[in-house]
Amino acid sequence: MACAPNRVRLLCMLSLTFGFFIVEVAVSRLTSSLAMLSDSFHMLSDVIALVVALVAVRFAEQTQSTNKNTFGWIRAEVMGALVNAVFLTALCFTIILEAIERFTEPHEIDRPDVVIGVGIGGLLVNLVGLCLFHGHAGGGGHGHSHGGHGHSHGGHKKHKNGKVRRCETLEDSRSAGEETNNLVGNQNNSPNGVNPDRRRAEMSHSDSLDLQINGSAPYEELENGHDAASQLNMRGVFLHVLGDALGSVIVVINASIFRAVWWPCKPGEICENPCVDQHCSDHSLNISSAVTNSTFKAGPCWVLYLDPTLCIIMVCILLYTTYPLLKESALILLQTVPKQIDMHQLNTRLRDLEGVLAVHELHIWQLAGSRIIATAHIKCHDPTSYMDVAKRIKDFFHDEGIHATTIQPEFVTVNSDSRASLCELSCRTQCAPKLCCGAVDSAKPPDGAVDAKKLCEAKTPTVTSTSATSLEIISESVEETSRPESVVIITREVESSL
Amino acid sequence: MLPLSIKDDEYKPAKFNLFVKLSGWFRSILADKTSRNLFFFLCLNLSFAFVELLYGIWSNSLGLISDSFHMFFDCTALLAGLAASVISRWRSNDSFSYGYVRAEVLAGFVNGLFLIFTAFFIFSEGVERALEPPDVHHERLLPVSIAGLLVNLVGIFVFQHGGHGHSHGGEGHGHSHSLFNGSVGHGHSHGGHGHSHESKHGHDHGHSHGDHGHSHGGHGHSHDDPHCHDDHLHTPGKGSSKQILQGVFLHIVADTLGSVGVIISAILMQKYDLMIADPICSMLIALLIGVSVVPLLRESIGILMQRTPPSLDHALPECYQRVQQLQGVYNLQEPHFWTLCTDVYIGTLKLLVAPDADSRWILSQTHNIFTQVGVRQLYVQIDVAAM
Repeated sequence: MACAPNRVRLLCMLSLTFGFFIVEVAVSRLTSSLAMLSDSFHMLSDVIALVVALVAVRFAEQTQSTNKNTFGWIRAEVMGALVNAVFLTALCFTIILEAIERFTEPHEIDRPDVVIGVGIGGLLVNLVGLCLFHGHAGGGGHGHSHGGHGHSHGGHKKHKNGKVRRCETLEDSRSAGEETNNLVGNQNNSPNGVNPDRRRAEMSHSDSLDLQINGSAPYEELENGHDAASQLNMRGVFLHVLGDALGSVIVVINASIFRAVWWPCKPGEICENPCVDQHCSDHSLNISSAVTNSTFKAGPCWVLYLDPTLCIIMVCILLYTTYPLLKESALILLQTVPKQIDMHQLNTRLRDLEGVLAVHELHIWQLAGSRIIATAHIKCHDPTSYMDVAKRIKDFFHDEGIHATTIQPEFVTVNSDSRASLCELSCRTQCAPKLCCGAVDSAKPPDGAVDAKKLCEAKTPTVTSTSATSLEIISESVEETSRPESVVIITREVESSL
Repeated sequence: MLPLSIKDDEYKPAKFNLFVKLSGWFRSILADKTSRNLFFFLCLNLSFAFVELLYGIWSNSLGLISDSFHMFFDCTALLAGLAASVISRWRSNDSFSYGYVRAEVLAGFVNGLFLIFTAFFIFSEGVERALEPPDVHHERLLPVSIAGLLVNLVGIFVFQHGGHGHSHGGEGHGHSHSLFNGSVGHGHSHGGHGHSHESKHGHDHGHSHGDHGHSHGGHGHSHDDPHCHDDHLHTPGKGSSKQILQGVFLHIVADTLGSVGVIISAILMQKYDLMIADPICSMLIALLIGVSVVPLLRESIGILMQRTPPSLDHALPECYQRVQQLQGVYNLQEPHFWTLCTDVYIGTLKLLVAPDADSRWILSQTHNIFTQVGVRQLYVQIDVAAM
């Protein structure tokens, strides 16, 4: 049920923000304030961020595999998080540029009262948003602050990290249980791994949220996986909203200080505004020094520089908190090995399993959240011993928290000249440039070859064999029979919406 | 942080010497044609942006200054493409078992996002200006725009193969900078980063934000090697630089469009005093940019979402049939095929086989079948059916 509340929250926030956007546009037309209009566009970008997150959540609910997306759409959450993070970064750049321009040409706020009013309204809206999303925030959540042109929205609400988040995710994961339960079966688990997963899951329901290697609660991890993925997405939204909140706070502060401190040039009075450049015709008059005694000078100039300064501080905060989100989602999309898995150690332990001669092309990557997928070539003696080895390997991966594995067996033949570490079914030479990764062999211990040699002498496979001590590429004989069999491929046909 | 290790052909001692590292990167950049082009174009853009900035400061034109900022923003997009093309050539390691080749897809995607952002902000600025047209000073804008247009045309010429996914070689992504910047005020398409320039003070000082007519062509990177399969034992990154180049090319095209739009609107304003021309041009350009980015985004999203490769959509069911006709194979389950980077496909599937089937033969036959369609990394799991 974690997804439904997410969607509801997003829709709520979306309607609120959009409504406020309309209000701001109306106010800007009424007061002819261009600043308000540009601020409303910032609000619109907020709306877009929420829409992106909503779309991602919608898509990610379809975790069933389809014809085109065999892994389902679960990755949409990570994509949504990345899009939001990039969007935030671009906004930050925009704000910096605007702030720099403000530094070079400061100008006063036209109607501080209206600005304060709108700012407080926006603050309230974002406060609500923060309430809605704070449980999902991973990091600090820095929402983006808009250039602060009299546009304040978002509440600056301190959210309690740690404990509250934990409780929330526990609840979420419990409710996510039912959903992910149905989806477990459609993941590419091994056929015999599904039922034990469910049983174990129901038993160890309230285990720790630790995504570490914990084989006893795979279901829990699946829940967390789903939840972790959506957490990423929600974090992006939270950052957006918090940035908005910061922006609103800055706007309100700025307008209040301005109103309190600034001495404006009243129309009808001879007044000189030293802070603004001379080419601003409505305020400044070229008054000679002869009348300096009787002229009013517009209020302290430092007030005009407060706005861009605060903006830059806010942008720094924002970038600092957006960066982890950006990095995390980018790394997932780059197919990194998940942080909690030590490739080297895993490789060693895998090779230590009984019956495993060598391991090639081990790839482990994260689909989304804690759905981790692994593929490998395992070299073993012969097909008969393979099924036992396969069971052991599957259990091993389950213990590591990886439930979607595809293990390709390779069998040794006695009379071959290649070492045990070579991939039996490696692409022939002309494909070498097209392989993605440079280093093919992830496990080539010298002892592997020794093992193979010893075992080669002990057993002889069925194919033509001599007592040679080296291995070679398998050569098979071709048998042709026809097999009528139904194609069991995909359950549902869903056209990609892209 | 992404690991910074480059284990290139030469072995470098492990002392952390920044200069050594930088020179290593530099050499790596110059080694590949794509990254070389990107680097030189980036230098060209940067220098042009600096010149514009200095000129703007000297002549105290805020429009020019903001336009130069746009160009800098554009340069970051180029920089992202360059970084991606370098990163994707690094070797795989413990954390990145597939290597870094996906960096290019990600860079193309991020550039596409930046372009969309840019288009959005250009559009919003156009709307703002349409509602409240500021005074436009276009005297200084036109020469700057024309200069920027020239720079962008260079970029297009260099990266000309990108943008449509049909790379016939030649990464020509001329990064065209919106030359609008400068005085035109509105004519500026933020080719770059959706940088809506503060039209806010437009109405105060009548200063044209035209400077932002800076459209970021983005990275329409032209697929340099349409045939990554044929030649080059070139690093795998070669073929997959398609995304980057496409993104860069699009950026450049957007910039060029921006420049052209600024020039047109400047002419219209000068000749016919049509102040409305500027915002309309901006909005049109924003729409064009948005539309042109969509193919790049679709492709990148497809790859990042682990979608079945579109080029294999028709071939795969046939392969499944053939595999299931092998002797001993009962069933083919859970096939997953996805694109790692351009033209590199990876697949996994499970076969349910009879207990007396020849697993080795089935394995090699399956591999052959799929190698013929271009899937070279295949993992076939053999599950022996219980009797």
